[in-house]
Amino acid sequence: MNDTDVSKQIQQMVRFIRQEAEEKANEISVAAEEEFNIEKLQLVEAEKKKIRQEYERKEKQVEIRKKIEYSMQLNASRIKVLQAQDDLVCSMKEAAAKELLLVSENDDAYQNLLKDLIVQSLLRLKEPSVLLRCREEDLQLVESVLGPAKEEYAQKAGVHSPEIVVDNKIFLPPAPSNSDTHGLYCSGGVVLASIDGKIVFENTLDARLDVVFRKKLPEIRKCLFNLVVA
Amino acid sequence: MDTRQSGIQQLLAAEQEAQRIVNEARNAKMARLKQAKEEAEKEVAAYRAQMEAEFQRKLAQSSGDSGANVKRLEQETEEKIEHLKSQAENISHDVVQMLLKHVTTVKN
Repeated sequence: MNDTDVSKQIQQMVRFIRQEAEEKANEISVAAEEEFNIEKLQLVEAEKKKIRQEYERKEKQVEIRKKIEYSMQLNASRIKVLQAQDDLVCSMKEAAAKELLLVSENDDAYQNLLKDLIVQSLLRLKEPSVLLRCREEDLQLVESVLGPAKEEYAQKAGVHSPEIVVDNKIFLPPAPSNSDTHGLYCSGGVVLASIDGKIVFENTLDARLDVVFRKKLPEIRKCLFNLVVA
Repeated sequence: MDTRQSGIQQLLAAEQEAQRIVNEARNAKMARLKQAKEEAEKEVAAYRAQMEAEFQRKLAQSSGDSGANVKRLEQETEEKIEHLKSQAENISHDVVQMLLKHVTTVKN
């Protein structure tokens, strides 16, 4: 081989070495780009998923809180309406209680009422001997109807005329004065008890109002509410 | 003799150059992979900001709705109570009379 040929061969080999290196570098570069993309995508997707879940959870919490708040407000408003209804119904009872005070002012009617109340109490107690208590201001009226009352009871129950002991010492509280509606008061009527005091029958006008009111309450409420719904 | 020497040197130089080229590519690869992490973080941060903005928007909208609902509920309640009051006025007299009648009527 002469020098030119050797030189040529050397050049070829140099070029070859360079070519191989560049090819390898290229491969590395391409692989790098692929790995870059895959790595970046994986990282991004993993984090995005976490973030999505986080916000889903946040939104759910907000939803729940809203529902709870609304439900609370609904309840509060229902209670408000029920309270209003209750207040209205109670003021009707109070109005009735006020008018009740006028009952004892009509002597004739009241006297008759007292007699009926005493008879009713006797019929309920079914005792041969009873205690009777009334308001001090009603004492005279009561004593005036004791006779007729005993007779009526004896006839209706088919027994002997009972013994009625009127309490002259302790009376039912009087009608309320304007200034004192919070103290004890009685609008009229009587209280009877078995002679041993163990069975008591309250037949005062106030007690009767309580009983009637409680009994009629559903009906009154229905009247009140029915037309609101309509 | 000289040519053989320089020939070998040329080859050695070529090898060195080859090595340098490959190393350079390897370094570039490392740098690129590091970039992956940085760019991923940027994209994620942008996504989070977007989600947050959307969340806040929905929040503002729904609290506006709630406010309107509360007002409506309050108004309905007031109307119901007004109805009750006027209804009570209507029936009050009759109710009172009915109660009094039952109290003062005794069936023996």
